[in-house]
Amino acid sequence: MSAVIAQGAAWSRVAAVVRKEVRDAVRDRRTLLVSLLTAAAAGPIFLMLIFNLIARQADRARELQLPVVGIQHAPALAAFLERNQATLSPAPVDYEAKLRAGDLDVVLVVDDQFAGDVAQGKQGTVRLVSDRSRDRAQASIRQAENLLRAYNRQWGTQRLLLRGVAPYVGNPLNVEDVDLATPQQSGAIILFLVAFYALLASIMGGLAAALDTTAGERERQSLEPLLMTPARPMELVVGKWVAVVLFNALVVVITLAGFYLTLTFAPLPPVGAPFLFSAREFGRFLVVLLPMMLLVPSVLLYVGSRGRTFKEAQANVSVLLFVLSLVPAVQLFLQQKEPDWLVLVPVSGQYTLLKLALRGETIPLSQLALSYVVPALLTVVALAAVARLLSREANFASR
Amino acid sequence: MIRVEGLVKSFGRKREVQAVRDVSFVAPDGQITGLLGPNGAGKTTLLRMLATLMIPDAGSASIGGLDVVRDRFAVRERIGVLSDARGLYPRLTARENIRYYGELHGLSGAALDGRIDALVTTLGLTALADRRTQGFSQGEKMKVAIARALVHDPSTVLLDEPTNGLDIMSVRALREQLRGLRGAGKCLLFSSHVMQEVAALCDRIVILGAGRVVAEGTAQELIAQSGAASLEDAFVTLLGSGEGLAA
Repeated sequence: MSAVIAQGAAWSRVAAVVRKEVRDAVRDRRTLLVSLLTAAAAGPIFLMLIFNLIARQADRARELQLPVVGIQHAPALAAFLERNQATLSPAPVDYEAKLRAGDLDVVLVVDDQFAGDVAQGKQGTVRLVSDRSRDRAQASIRQAENLLRAYNRQWGTQRLLLRGVAPYVGNPLNVEDVDLATPQQSGAIILFLVAFYALLASIMGGLAAALDTTAGERERQSLEPLLMTPARPMELVVGKWVAVVLFNALVVVITLAGFYLTLTFAPLPPVGAPFLFSAREFGRFLVVLLPMMLLVPSVLLYVGSRGRTFKEAQANVSVLLFVLSLVPAVQLFLQQKEPDWLVLVPVSGQYTLLKLALRGETIPLSQLALSYVVPALLTVVALAAVARLLSREANFASR
Repeated sequence: MIRVEGLVKSFGRKREVQAVRDVSFVAPDGQITGLLGPNGAGKTTLLRMLATLMIPDAGSASIGGLDVVRDRFAVRERIGVLSDARGLYPRLTARENIRYYGELHGLSGAALDGRIDALVTTLGLTALADRRTQGFSQGEKMKVAIARALVHDPSTVLLDEPTNGLDIMSVRALREQLRGLRGAGKCLLFSSHVMQEVAALCDRIVILGAGRVVAEGTAQELIAQSGAASLEDAFVTLLGSGEGLAA
């Protein structure tokens, strides 16, 4: 009976801490507004940028602008290119400099000897001049190459036909390109960015509140009187943690809502969205990110409690955030098939599952359950560690 | 009643800093006991042990018969502490600051509201009660901190240098408050390095020097014991040197 009463008292103290921390954080209007507005604006701004980028690349590829030099030596080639939607224009004299500067994507140079060589039955030479280190130019270069290859094939086929030879004699290998990527699966980099951003929201969401309630509490000198109340350290920690988790969840929900609303209602350029983000993905994201929303606040509380001052805690936290945000980036650049155990690793596991959700694939329940295990354990460990830090005498002796 | 027996506390990796060497005294109910000593005499460390924040290396202490180590959470329910660190939450109002501590002490509802109202009135905080404590003066902050420490009507009150940084009006208001608590039969322990403070308020005085009790008794007893003309002279004589008397 008395144990029941004691437990009731413990929970009412936890509730008192949660109420106080939430009120305190909400009163910090400026910090609150900044974090919520950033979360709300992130999705729209970010998606506009990406979509415009895709749209522009698609435009470039569709209407190839091809400056040419000496095209008068190859009128049949010019006709072929124009039939295939390439816009030919005389290249400026300093085209090499312009290519290097990125003003031009690719230039076609027809050799002076072209007509003569072809008339003598030799190979005619054309040069495709470009700077391949430029990402933006890749689509144009590839398209120009494809057109020239197509022209080469067509011309050769015609010659063979004239000599009464079947066209495939000179082309024994028939390569068929079968791309298994659905429209949703292409655009890996965009998948990465969206998943990464959602993950980042779950990491950053509770940052300000977590530091304020730990390092801030100590710096304001309100920690010592707090520890002289009957509230047990673990009750204080759990109360603070719940408050930070609430803020973190709020930021994540707002961020995801930004993605969802933008993709659903905003006039984005029609690029054939490379991924899905409907209400279903919204829900899945929340389910996948839940362990992060619980774990990260507990770790932030721990780091915050270790700092003697707000500033020190901030410095330590920025190291933590850097490491956490590095994980998905490393995963992207490794470009390997991910091992199965990766789902157990916090951050990596969530990132992997978020990508699955974006690709429109089902997330196996077993995988989801596995991705919860380590974060759940770490959360408990971190909270216990904070409670231990709070009950240390060194908190006071150092002053 | 506070009973302290042979308390010892040292700090540092090799326990080389001996803050409290051997302190014993008794502070009875219905009296204000002054803990007087120069800076670094071990007053704050002693109070932190009594407030259950630090565990003594040796010796024992009890408050109302409860051991400060073994029964520390029960002790916390019975003590009100105005510690050296008395930070408030600047974004909460005075009333909310006090209420938070009341809730942590298990109070709620009408009982808590009534208690807060009573404290706000006696401490003269009525006009400030619903303002955020952000811009409060030292004296105003101190009053809120006192209300916070007393919200659960503790039987024992520990005050660590409560008059630090206060103007004379606030000091007088504080004295009135403490006398009122004494009248209600509470046990008060008041630490200070300012002798006039202790002389003006305390029924009994315990003089601490370098972590030990140097002398104890009423002001008259201390003067008689040292053969000095005033309490100030008695203080210096009993400490055996003119050390650390800077006010």
